[in-house]
Amino acid sequence: MAKIGKIKYKPVSVRDLITEMKDLSELMIDLAYFAALFNSRPLAEEVIEMERRVDDLAYRLDMSAMIAARDPKDAESLVAVSVVASAADKISDAAGDIAAIVLKEIGVHPIVREAFEKVEERLTRVEIQKGSVWANKSLRDLELSAKMGVDIIAIRRNTDFIINPEKDELVLAGDVVIARGAPMGIEEFERLAGRTVQTAGS
Amino acid sequence: MMGAKESFKDIVDMLAELKDTSELMLDLAYSSIFLNNKELAQDVATLEEYMDDLHTKFELLVLTRCITPEDSKDYLGLIRLGVVTEKIADAAMQIAGVVLRGLEPHPVLRLAIKEAEETVVHAQVSKKSPLAGKSLKEAQVHEETGMWVLSIKRGDKWVRPKPDTVIEAGDHLIVSGYAEGVDDLKRLVNSEKRMK
Repeated sequence: MAKIGKIKYKPVSVRDLITEMKDLSELMIDLAYFAALFNSRPLAEEVIEMERRVDDLAYRLDMSAMIAARDPKDAESLVAVSVVASAADKISDAAGDIAAIVLKEIGVHPIVREAFEKVEERLTRVEIQKGSVWANKSLRDLELSAKMGVDIIAIRRNTDFIINPEKDELVLAGDVVIARGAPMGIEEFERLAGRTVQTAGS
Repeated sequence: MMGAKESFKDIVDMLAELKDTSELMLDLAYSSIFLNNKELAQDVATLEEYMDDLHTKFELLVLTRCITPEDSKDYLGLIRLGVVTEKIADAAMQIAGVVLRGLEPHPVLRLAIKEAEETVVHAQVSKKSPLAGKSLKEAQVHEETGMWVLSIKRGDKWVRPKPDTVIEAGDHLIVSGYAEGVDDLKRLVNSEKRMK
């Protein structure tokens, strides 16, 4: 059973919370379908991790919205935020259900992959090891997009997610990096991500 | 005897349609909030009914198969994916419901959706339009306007836009893209048969 952590109010803006919930829920759907079509357990697990995060955000958002409402007019317009947030939460649950198809080893028949679009696109997740040649480099320095046509779509740092990170974002040891690209680029990405200062040679 | 592949094909195609429809609904729902547009929200509601029917058909279709124990997991995976598309559609309906209930969307929602430069419009194809009778591939809507056809509403039906889908006079096109393309689009769906 997944462990459910304690949750306390933190002064985070409603705007940041709803934005993260929306972005995460959409990313999760993409990742989850991909995990199901390519039977990828690591990506499915990442989706479950995100689902937990969205659950937490949902609580936080409700708390922030309650504090923000001062009069009936506020309440009317904030309830819209709360409804959209709960929809994003539902979407993230739906993505979790897709991930469960993989994790419970039910699987999806390969024929489904042919019928769905975007088959040329691959997604992957890699963990940045201690001593990785990528550690402490910014996305700009890594030039993944120019070198191998791979885009970093999210970075997980412990339980926090940075979605669509900016170019000056640093990759740190211990980060989980989620990337999107063509099959060849993704293969290279996975190979290079595993290199450490010792194994990289020259 | 039908092989697994043939017996799957119709089911998988229907699943792909469920998935596409659920994603279209989500796009439209967020756009309806962003633009505070009841017409788009109403489209989501119409699609929701369409989805319900389609999902029922899908599940019935799966149940018509005599499934052997070895195949059962494959079919379970499909059924689960079908349920997921339905959940996403429900979530989209929930979002559109905000607009249909006349709640003024809070400014932070616009910021969260941040499609500032993009818009979604409805456009009905007139009899005189050069698009009428053309396939989407021939119609070159994107080349002419910079906008993409998300979906086609034909009477009560929703048609998935594929390159060989033929546009008919009277069709409602749901089109998204940069606001600059809207005038070109309006011209295209209404004008006499003269195109540059």
